[in-house]
Amino acid sequence: MRKDEIPLYIVDLALKKGATDVAVKLHDEQHAMIRFSNNEVTVSKFYNESVISIFLMIEKHRAATTVPLSSARNAEKAVNNLIKIAKITPPSELYAPLPEGPFDYDPKLLKDSGISLHSERLIGHVEEAINGALEEGAKKTAGTLDATKEKIILATSGNVHATQERGSLEISVRAFTSEVSSGHFVSISGDEKNFDPSEAGRTAGKIAVAALNPQSGKPGKFTALLGPLVFADLISQVGIVSSAFLVDIGQSFLIDKIDSQIACEKLNLIDDPTIAGSYGVRAFDDEGVPTRRNVIIERGVLKRYLHNSTTAKKHGVETTGNAGLISPHPWNLIVEPGEKSFEEILAEIDRGIYVTNDWYLRYQNYMTGDFSTIPRDGMFLIRNGALSSSIRELRISDNMLRILKNIQEISRTRTWIKWWEVDVPTLTPYAVVRDLNFTKSTM
Amino acid sequence: MEELTEFAVNYAESLGAEYAESRFQCDIQESIILKNGIPEAVVLEESRGISVRVLVNGALGFASTNDLTKRGLKAASNRAYKMAHASTKILRKRISMDDSELGSVKVEVKPHVDFDSIDVESKAKLLKEAYKQAVDEAADNKIKIPSCSITLDTWKTEKLVMTSDGAYVHSFTPRAALFTLITAFHSQKGIIQRFFNLGGTGGWEMVKKWDLPKLFKEESKTLSEILLFARGKPSGKTDVILGPEVVGLVCHESSGHPGEADRILGREAAQAGETYLKSDSIGLRVGSSLVNVVDDPTLDGSFGFYMYDEEGVKARKRVLIKEGVINEFLHNRETASVFKIKSNGSSRAVAFNREPIVRMANTYLEPGDYSKEELFEDVKDGVYIKSFMEWNIDDRRFNQRYVGLEAYKIENGELKERVRNPVLEVTTIGLWSAVDAVGKDLEFQAAYCGKGDPMQGIPVWTGGPHIRLRDVTLGG
Repeated sequence: MRKDEIPLYIVDLALKKGATDVAVKLHDEQHAMIRFSNNEVTVSKFYNESVISIFLMIEKHRAATTVPLSSARNAEKAVNNLIKIAKITPPSELYAPLPEGPFDYDPKLLKDSGISLHSERLIGHVEEAINGALEEGAKKTAGTLDATKEKIILATSGNVHATQERGSLEISVRAFTSEVSSGHFVSISGDEKNFDPSEAGRTAGKIAVAALNPQSGKPGKFTALLGPLVFADLISQVGIVSSAFLVDIGQSFLIDKIDSQIACEKLNLIDDPTIAGSYGVRAFDDEGVPTRRNVIIERGVLKRYLHNSTTAKKHGVETTGNAGLISPHPWNLIVEPGEKSFEEILAEIDRGIYVTNDWYLRYQNYMTGDFSTIPRDGMFLIRNGALSSSIRELRISDNMLRILKNIQEISRTRTWIKWWEVDVPTLTPYAVVRDLNFTKSTM
Repeated sequence: MEELTEFAVNYAESLGAEYAESRFQCDIQESIILKNGIPEAVVLEESRGISVRVLVNGALGFASTNDLTKRGLKAASNRAYKMAHASTKILRKRISMDDSELGSVKVEVKPHVDFDSIDVESKAKLLKEAYKQAVDEAADNKIKIPSCSITLDTWKTEKLVMTSDGAYVHSFTPRAALFTLITAFHSQKGIIQRFFNLGGTGGWEMVKKWDLPKLFKEESKTLSEILLFARGKPSGKTDVILGPEVVGLVCHESSGHPGEADRILGREAAQAGETYLKSDSIGLRVGSSLVNVVDDPTLDGSFGFYMYDEEGVKARKRVLIKEGVINEFLHNRETASVFKIKSNGSSRAVAFNREPIVRMANTYLEPGDYSKEELFEDVKDGVYIKSFMEWNIDDRRFNQRYVGLEAYKIENGELKERVRNPVLEVTTIGLWSAVDAVGKDLEFQAAYCGKGDPMQGIPVWTGGPHIRLRDVTLGG
């Protein structure tokens, strides 16, 4: 049997064995990663995998499995086992049949843009990034280059049989000018032409140079200018917890907020995987439903949660094309641009703090949105509309909903962000947040 | 799999690699997800494949595949070799492996009750009963549990590690873990949440021992009481007693991570970060003489259990901080070679397709000689922080924050009213230096430690006794 025929074969098999609904995804991935630190490569890695995911329902009884393709060749055994498990699994809350196709998909979204995984070329990207940072004055660099090609073949009992190919490039560069002064930036793309490792290195290097000789910051409430890495971390949290599943299990501060003004009117947040060539492009979700542009926040008002067909039925709405068979999720987040440049919004801040990066975000309470996260890399005092001194050792300790409401300005300039700390690719501007609470160690 | 694993090592060597290592790993996992008392799904996962790691002219290459044929392994080896070879272009210092003694051994943890002998229905029934206990207990206090997610994972791991310099380690390890997030709500008092993990190595007998219905009832009672009675956020200078749950986290975050030798060398600088410690920090005083932090993978039944690491080195207890002084770092063979010492067996990988890197296993503060009563009786005015919800630490592992969940006022040695969310925001040295008494109790919690790129959430225990801190400032 040819590889691309396996999903449909398993769907037919499972239906014959008594499943009411079946979705089978074959995921083929080739992924190269080069990690570097101290201006040299520390390890080069390559992952080559084919796995089959089978999800089936016998009405309210649901079971799923992921197995290597080699095991799936013994499909009958896998399906028999899964049917057995589903039959003895206690019923779920409700039964939502898988969406009925066939569906039309945008052909522009189905094809790989031709990412190269050639070792020499990938090393070249790393060299460009390191050199970019060093040319700006960094002493040492560290980071990761990722290059991925994947093929998804999906078949469902809802007459879906579709194939998507996609590729992506991602580089994350951290530049150091001393033990405690550093800068970080990224470049991500769904194609080669928009990938710019040199610029990522240069930006990280510039921040690291500006961050030299940091003084210990003072805690308190400040107007904060958040760089794209920080704002992407916060805004991707909003995108992630707009999953109806997370809302239902108490892991979202967006519960009971549909049609409420949850943010400043300047904030518009969209999940849009239909942009050809973008990092998070997707033509269809894990139920085979065509993806679409979903407005999550419009002029500060929460418009919808993200759904698969099960959460949609529970909430009495249509699926948004964001399945995840258990939990729906965003694909490709976009914050609509503001009108002013970075320089213009900086010039409007009399006294404040510019934060270029953060990490380690943890909630005290997912439902209220109380959390803290730690600024890292360059952080600067702003005085009279300009960056003054470099500071360190502060923590952002605040509340997600309060921050969203306290957004004062959003820049015209935007950057695609995704890295170790930000899971979902997010097109992110700079943002100004008033009265952001900073704390620090007391001893 | 022995033939294929050995084939991968030999083939990689034949390409010209000066070191080759191959690891077969198979993880077969069952997850039961209960959402608000109702089973969401049962998920079975099988992850099976082989990785090949090579050194080529001092450059490190890694490749993994789940195509378990000689053709698939040749392709993976070729790729690891080529990528390593290409990266010599940006390599200054050659990487090498130390000359640790390597194991030739089979290690098997045998469960008393195999997970497969308990059907899914019975497992789901147990989780539903635990959920019901939580809801009923809360209802007795007029509290609602609007959401509660419970995930029970049970899995078996088989690994076979072989290296070109003679390691042969074949292991079988069953594990179970439970993750819960409970939300408690009262119309006037608001919402609070609690997450907790349980985990260990063993079979179903371990899950039974957890006594989930009783545990959920107790957790629900505590949450209800916090919601109803806790008030006032303590601040200012005071004595603080930390419970084992918090102490374990502190050990992990501010003693384990900073002592990882790969961080000291800058290898994690762009992701999990670096550390305030340097290569020459052995002997540096970071706490009071009562502070002894260790990491021990060999604890029977522990979540972070292993007897040999992914490079074939025998595991042993590592004394990270001895009497308040940095004593030892965590090493794999690569970092040990740089430090010109021998690996202490800290190389771990979470799956066949993940590079082995320096990791903790079970990190804890060694008990002292104070009874719990003795710890409290000497506190005139203080705060007891028993559990936490929010925490984080900077990427040099120096500035950290722990926000208490279950916490009490202490007056004249006696536990008084509950307080809300005390914040301990301190430096690593500030915290460990404030320890003036260490209890003789010892408890462990399960956690997944995140590190590496791609991320590897690896099972660990964190633990310790109750400890007393003098004159620390709460607030933040």
